[in-house]
Amino acid sequence: MLAAVLFAGAPQSGTNPIQGLLEQVAPAAVPAWAVVAATIGIGVGITVAIVSVIAMFGTWMERKVSGHIQCRYGPMRAGWHGWLQPLADGVKLLLKEDLVPKGADRVLYVIAPAIVLASVLAAMAVFPLAPNFYFADIDLGIFFILAMTSTTTIGVVMAGWSSNSKWSLYGSMREAAQVIAYEIPLGISLLVPIMVAGSFNLIEVSNDQAGWMGMNWYIWPWVNPFMLPAFVLFFIAILAETKRAPFDLPEAESELVAGFMTEYSGIRWSFFFMEEYAAMFLYSAVGAFFFFGGFESPLTWLVRHQFGLTVGVQAEAWSLGAILLTLTSALTIVVKGFAGVFLMMWLRWTLPRVRIDQVMTLGYKYLTPLALVCVLGAGLWEVFVKGFLPWRNG
Amino acid sequence: MSQSTTLPTAAAGTGEREFMLDVRTQDMEVNMGPQHPATHGVMRILIRADGEICTGAQPHLGYLHRCAEKIGENVEWLQYLPYTDRYDYLAAMNNNLGYSMAVEKLMGIEIPRRALMIRTICAELNRIGSHLVAFGTYGLDLGAITPFLYMFREREWMMALFEKICGARLTYSYIRIGGVFNDAPPGWLSEVERFCDTFEEKWQEYVDLLMVNHIFVQRTANIGVIPKAMALDFGLTGPMLRGSGVDWDLRRDMPYELYAEIWKSGCFQIPLGKGERGTLGDCWDRAYVRVMEMIESIKIVRWCLDSIAPGPVIAEIPKTLRVPAGEAYVGIENPRGELGHYVVSDGGKVAVRCRVRGPSFTNLAVLEELLPGALIADSIAIIGSTDIVVGETDR
Amino acid sequence: MEFRGILDRLRAIGAPGLLGHDEPRGADPADKKDKGRAGDPFVLVDPQRLPAFLEVCRDDERLAFDILIDLTAADPSKDDPNLWVLVHLLSLAYRQRLTVKCALSKAAATMPTSVTVHRGAQWHERECGEMFGITFAGHPDPRHILLPEDWLGFPLRKDYVFPDEYHGISCK
Repeated sequence: MLAAVLFAGAPQSGTNPIQGLLEQVAPAAVPAWAVVAATIGIGVGITVAIVSVIAMFGTWMERKVSGHIQCRYGPMRAGWHGWLQPLADGVKLLLKEDLVPKGADRVLYVIAPAIVLASVLAAMAVFPLAPNFYFADIDLGIFFILAMTSTTTIGVVMAGWSSNSKWSLYGSMREAAQVIAYEIPLGISLLVPIMVAGSFNLIEVSNDQAGWMGMNWYIWPWVNPFMLPAFVLFFIAILAETKRAPFDLPEAESELVAGFMTEYSGIRWSFFFMEEYAAMFLYSAVGAFFFFGGFESPLTWLVRHQFGLTVGVQAEAWSLGAILLTLTSALTIVVKGFAGVFLMMWLRWTLPRVRIDQVMTLGYKYLTPLALVCVLGAGLWEVFVKGFLPWRNG
Repeated sequence: MSQSTTLPTAAAGTGEREFMLDVRTQDMEVNMGPQHPATHGVMRILIRADGEICTGAQPHLGYLHRCAEKIGENVEWLQYLPYTDRYDYLAAMNNNLGYSMAVEKLMGIEIPRRALMIRTICAELNRIGSHLVAFGTYGLDLGAITPFLYMFREREWMMALFEKICGARLTYSYIRIGGVFNDAPPGWLSEVERFCDTFEEKWQEYVDLLMVNHIFVQRTANIGVIPKAMALDFGLTGPMLRGSGVDWDLRRDMPYELYAEIWKSGCFQIPLGKGERGTLGDCWDRAYVRVMEMIESIKIVRWCLDSIAPGPVIAEIPKTLRVPAGEAYVGIENPRGELGHYVVSDGGKVAVRCRVRGPSFTNLAVLEELLPGALIADSIAIIGSTDIVVGETDR
Repeated sequence: MEFRGILDRLRAIGAPGLLGHDEPRGADPADKKDKGRAGDPFVLVDPQRLPAFLEVCRDDERLAFDILIDLTAADPSKDDPNLWVLVHLLSLAYRQRLTVKCALSKAAATMPTSVTVHRGAQWHERECGEMFGITFAGHPDPRHILLPEDWLGFPLRKDYVFPDEYHGISCK
């Protein structure tokens, strides 16, 4: 429903559908800044809601996935197959006593989880859930997402430092080292699809991959054969970025108890948790945008085919085809995003943890050079081979 | 090359050093434990660390000290048996066996053959269970959570088997002085056979998931190397000794109970560390020995199942034991090494001295030597590979 | 090699500090009170020369007691003026064990450390030190190991009186 309401905004690129809607319905007496403020309020609310829902679904999924991998069921009591479990957890965490350890740097200790969560919320703001459902459609979308998600590290280092616990400090130092090491291959491997698409904008990248039954996704070797290795590098890098096993050194529970969040409890701790799951989803959705077609899937192709819609052109607002396209696009990106999350969970529950020097070696000595090779190869392919491929010039 | 990249030596004075950059740094002292997931109980290791590198380690024990030896001097011979369950609670059958054998040695009792068979089955099943925990938690230490639960699946069955035979899952007190408490219930032996079949199938899973997993090998090979001479010097026993390539197993070399007969039948081997993936005596070798021992134990259980015959399960012993004066030492091959019981009797109802030589205690001493120079993450791998049970180190 | 063989070898090489030996025996029919002695044989060694004795046992090629399995002590009774210090040795090459016993005066319970010969003795000696009040001269780290550092008395001595409280915690 919400999607349909927002859809009425019919935005051009660079504007906000919520603002458009509000400007239409607001009486003349309402000043312009109030519309902007209301837009921000609604947008933040929606983003927080989306992040919370993703985090809740993520925790439930983690429990079910790990449970079924480990010959057990996971939560089964709260609701059908425990689907209400995250709500119960949330209530429990809210009711817990707010503890600040003695000797902790109180200000930093309180700010740290907020920064961590705020960074992922900010990144989520530019994340479109459908081609016409987003809070902000900015041209440097992916750049903004990467910048915001790496801000998490500042919060983590603050958390580790302010906790007044040596284990926390270890965890945060590891996180800082790890993130610096893996931002590089992450960014470089993303350059490959960015180069092919010629855009930083998530929706444009997605539109560029439209094609018969999703056969135009960048990951396919006939588009660019350097895309698959680039995706593998990207995926390894996002595992390290989101602190997921086998790179979960910052919170390595058997070594550092819980790493940087050892001293946290209750709602503050849940901020770290929400960040982790939201970031997992966000990164794998970014992977979906840049390698797996974004909104494009056989489903959206079918809808577009049936209703005769054109890629990148907004259809008439309330037509059935437009609504169906919005819904299928959202479904596509959510399914793709959670497929990536599932893959990350699968790895987590399968692999042992690597050591800090191995993490650094992998990041600096292997991933970064390989990513550069991918960029070079993909660039050469685009310049010299692309012209001979009829399906790339249609 | 700046000094900071060289490995600092152990016990570097006050721990304060001046680097070439004019930055004064100081080693950090970190308390690992007593509440820490990797110390397998309540043990504390004071680690001095330079960044991620350990420069010194000092284990502190005693958090689980329950005066077992003092209690042994104050309760009757038979009453002490339940206390033996509690030192190495993962291998309680073996503890029962070791203590019973020490008392039997003083008393000179002949044990019925069926009792010996059941004792061997129980001890070997318990060895499997103990190694499952050891190897599973080792995977857990290195971050692999799922194999641990797979191993607990089989261990659960093992404990259910023990529950059927003696009613307890962890602290059995089943092997008594003179035999075993009661005969196996009907159908128990065939269930053990089914367990053996299933276990052999599942065992391959552990090897595939963990033992040959590339990350696992990277984390354990060449880490915590104990050369042969060092192993002997520290008096290591069990998988720790065999992991260093020393071919020694009490079940073969100083056989007790039925093991001489079983060894002669040639049904089991003694797995040794060979330095296959790294250096001889590294963490991987110790894990390898444990994994291989599980399958050898299954073979021993199968031999017993094949040759068991009906008969009495406990010798005639009086209600109140009066053990002849004398002193005896009996060492048996516990899952963790040589479990020794040294008992002294003055002919009365109560022991004069009841000494327990726990293998974990001796094996743990090697940590002070192994940890300096290792990374923090490696120190976890090393502690895990010593496979200690704190109940036994502290007794 | 049985116990007799080990003993002969020890005598032949003139093992330092060897005082005597004891073997299990049956009851003496002439003496009704005597019930004999069961269990293991052992050799008696002068505690002050124990490290030298252990070194000889380890290095002699026919004995090769290369593993110190256990070093412990025992208090035979309240009236006995001596403690026993017991060492259990194991020879991997010859598959044999040897129990070494030393009588150490309770009044002056000091003996040299064996850590110089077997590093594995270190923790065993710390345990003996706190439990029996034996001082091992030259021990590199003579702290308590199982008991708290401020624990008073030596719990495994027979004349030990259990404390009423420890740091305000009632022990009764």
